[in-house]
Amino acid sequence: MKKYLLIFLFSSVVFIARCDKGIEPNPLPESNGTTGFAGTITFSGNWPDSVKLTLLVVFKNKLQSAQDFGSPNLSYAIGPIPYGATIYNYNSVDNSYSSLSTLDAGSYNYVVVAQSTKETISLDRKDWFVAGVYCVNGNQSQPATLIIEKGKMTQNVNINVDFNNPPPQPPGG
Amino acid sequence: MKILITQVLLLCSIVIYSQTGTITGRVIGTDGIPILGVNVILVNTHYGTATDSKGFFELKNVPLGKYTIQFSAIGYQKKIIENYDVKDINPPLKIVMQEQAIETPQIVVSATKFEQKKEDLTVSTSIIQPDFIARKNFTTFDDVLRYVSGVQMTLDQVSIRGSSGYSKGAGTRVLVAIDGVPLYSGDTGDIVWEMIPLTDIERVEVIKGPASSLYGSTAIGGVINIITKSSSKNPITQIMTYAGVYDKSKYDSWNWSNNYRTFYGFGFSHSNSVNKLGYTISLKKLENSGYRENDFSERYLSYAKLNFSIDSSNTFSFLINNLIMNRGNFLYWKDSRNALVPKDEDNGNTIRSNRWFLSLIYNHSLSKKSALQFKSSFYRTYFEGRGIEVTTSTANLFRNELIGNFRFTDSFIITVGGEFSYAHVKSNIFANPNFFNAGMYLQAEYKGIDKLIVTTGIRYDYIKLDTLSGASAVTPKFGLNYKLSKNIILRASMGTGFRAPTPAEVFTTAGVGGGVNVVQNPDLKSERSLSFEAGALIKYNSNLSFDMAFFQTDYENFIEPNLLKSGDIKFINLPKARIQGYELVTEWNVLPQILTLKASYNYLWARDLQLHKAMKYRPRNVLYVNFQYYPYPFDFGIDFRYWSKVEEIDNLLVEPPLALVVDGYKRVPVYVTDINIGYNFFISTIPAKVFLNIKNLFNYYYVEFIGNVAPLRNISLDLELFF
Repeated sequence: MKKYLLIFLFSSVVFIARCDKGIEPNPLPESNGTTGFAGTITFSGNWPDSVKLTLLVVFKNKLQSAQDFGSPNLSYAIGPIPYGATIYNYNSVDNSYSSLSTLDAGSYNYVVVAQSTKETISLDRKDWFVAGVYCVNGNQSQPATLIIEKGKMTQNVNINVDFNNPPPQPPGG
Repeated sequence: MKILITQVLLLCSIVIYSQTGTITGRVIGTDGIPILGVNVILVNTHYGTATDSKGFFELKNVPLGKYTIQFSAIGYQKKIIENYDVKDINPPLKIVMQEQAIETPQIVVSATKFEQKKEDLTVSTSIIQPDFIARKNFTTFDDVLRYVSGVQMTLDQVSIRGSSGYSKGAGTRVLVAIDGVPLYSGDTGDIVWEMIPLTDIERVEVIKGPASSLYGSTAIGGVINIITKSSSKNPITQIMTYAGVYDKSKYDSWNWSNNYRTFYGFGFSHSNSVNKLGYTISLKKLENSGYRENDFSERYLSYAKLNFSIDSSNTFSFLINNLIMNRGNFLYWKDSRNALVPKDEDNGNTIRSNRWFLSLIYNHSLSKKSALQFKSSFYRTYFEGRGIEVTTSTANLFRNELIGNFRFTDSFIITVGGEFSYAHVKSNIFANPNFFNAGMYLQAEYKGIDKLIVTTGIRYDYIKLDTLSGASAVTPKFGLNYKLSKNIILRASMGTGFRAPTPAEVFTTAGVGGGVNVVQNPDLKSERSLSFEAGALIKYNSNLSFDMAFFQTDYENFIEPNLLKSGDIKFINLPKARIQGYELVTEWNVLPQILTLKASYNYLWARDLQLHKAMKYRPRNVLYVNFQYYPYPFDFGIDFRYWSKVEEIDNLLVEPPLALVVDGYKRVPVYVTDINIGYNFFISTIPAKVFLNIKNLFNYYYVEFIGNVAPLRNISLDLELFF
């Protein structure tokens, strides 16, 4: 009898272990011809108390002056990113800050995580602080270029935000 | 010569004296409590003694040599030490004896409000023993219920045989009680599982099927009665601590935190008796950082129970229980790619709460066959939800009940009782309603016919919910128990039930998060039910039994939350609903006291008879298997749970144009496997137990409710010390 019980138990464990793995994440919307990008923002250190709004902002060109902070250089925004988050997975389709704006294929030379002390969107450079930059080899003083191809999702646009080691600030701040 | 003889005798006496030894020691149970009156004998000798009230024993003047020592006591497994070498000086023995499931009938008090053998009941019942709770390191009581046949948890909402789906924490169809005193809150009418003191439970009785004829409104789906431990006769202190960690997900996009998420707890309890006063106190702190973002919890639980015997006829029991809790409020996932992260707008929502539960139970024996019992309770609940808006509610619920048990003959027992409860709510989401309920009941049990037990009862309730007109309900029931043979017991019962809407279901006006608002429905009616059950208990032999039951419940005006096309939730009445099913339970002691196998299967067919579709959040097939192997001092166990994929959910919540929960349609069958490994050991002279638990061993991802992934694989270590 014990032998049959052990066989039953062993078979059960094998059966259970072979069951599928349950719920899976949906694939990113790249297969249906969507144009955009996706990635992960990782935060370390303590969030400043003064922060009211955090966005991932895509600029066409690097900021040379305070005026470059607004349109037409400001191309797209993602968020808001919840205060206190440690990791934020995003894609430009589901997490667009404004459903009215669109992201065209092209090259974008300055992609940053920007934080504001105001709850509402402001185009005044002084209200913003760059907390993290999409960069080359982890060097935040060397912004990387984001290339978006038509009908494709550019993956792994990952940004690290270290509150204890902020990146160089662009002019106008 | 005299001197020589004296010297020889003296020498002999020294030799004889030095050729004896003393065996001392202490005997305790696996729960650390000393065992009184254990027979300690040296086999095949006339040496023997018994343990005192603190479990100590001493065997003096035992000739040196090797012996077999036997420890025996009624209700415990015999313990034998072979080839024990008695020397001049012997270290104290530490003996732990394990309780033995002797062939005494299990006693149930919840089904009839007086003690009754389980095999005499007319309704299906499950009993949960405290060792099951300790072994698996549960941190809240709702997790215990996930392993009980016929019981289903959907997040924090309990359902017996499909009586409930999921209603956002408003209302319950299962009456949960501590020592027979209901524990539902005055505003939402829900159960706060964290309130229940897991280490102070004597046993739990689960009555499946409506019990409104005895317990009133909230018992329409059944009763879960938690019987707390009586105070110990001897001082006993327990210290418990545990720590655990959640595993990471295999999907990188789900690993929202850089760190492993942890949970831990620490607490102690002390129990003793001084003359006629017995007391138990316990304090605990429990923390969980949560496997999901914004799903943390921090809890402080304090519990005290006093037992006082004035004389043999009059006893009091007073219980006070407090829970202070601060937790994040995780409502729905952001989407399936961010399944462990809440929707952005809900992130940061928290709830602070403070709850007090006090109960006083007075027992008075009128004679050897009749008794009165008075139960009075006060339950104060306060919570403050902080999100986009601040929601607050304070509810004070007072309740009194008088129960009389009159045993006219050995075969005829009458139970009568009356109760009233009053709740006052002060809230910015439920308005400020008052709630009043009064009920009277009468029940009779007759055993005068050979092999047959007949029970019948009726209850009348009057309910008044604030400005709404009062409603009354009469709920009769009838049951039969027939012992066809020594090994086959048949039972059948028919009962009616009703449930009045709670203040939350009628008066709530609030955003519950996730973009969902709840709107009032003052036209909500009480629901009513008619149930039937037929079952059989078959004992193949003393180690193998089968219990089976068929059940059916028809509901009128079934109260369910309904999502409107506007995106609002409104509680409505479903005109007609029917739940049918059957249950098979088997218990097999493959090797008595060492190897056991328990399995249960439930089939449930729950449907809305007007819309001709399945009712929401009810799995059709549920299977539980428990395998336990305990060669003392080790303890190994495997638990497996299977639920078939839920057929119906709130589709409006997940589909366009609302689609409030992205990818919320994702649901799968549930396969969960847990293992536990335990070991009893001593630290110095202090008994201790350690348990290792791995829950969700295969890291299977599933939901009980839309957009809520159940806990990932987690490993915990639990240590209990007894002084």
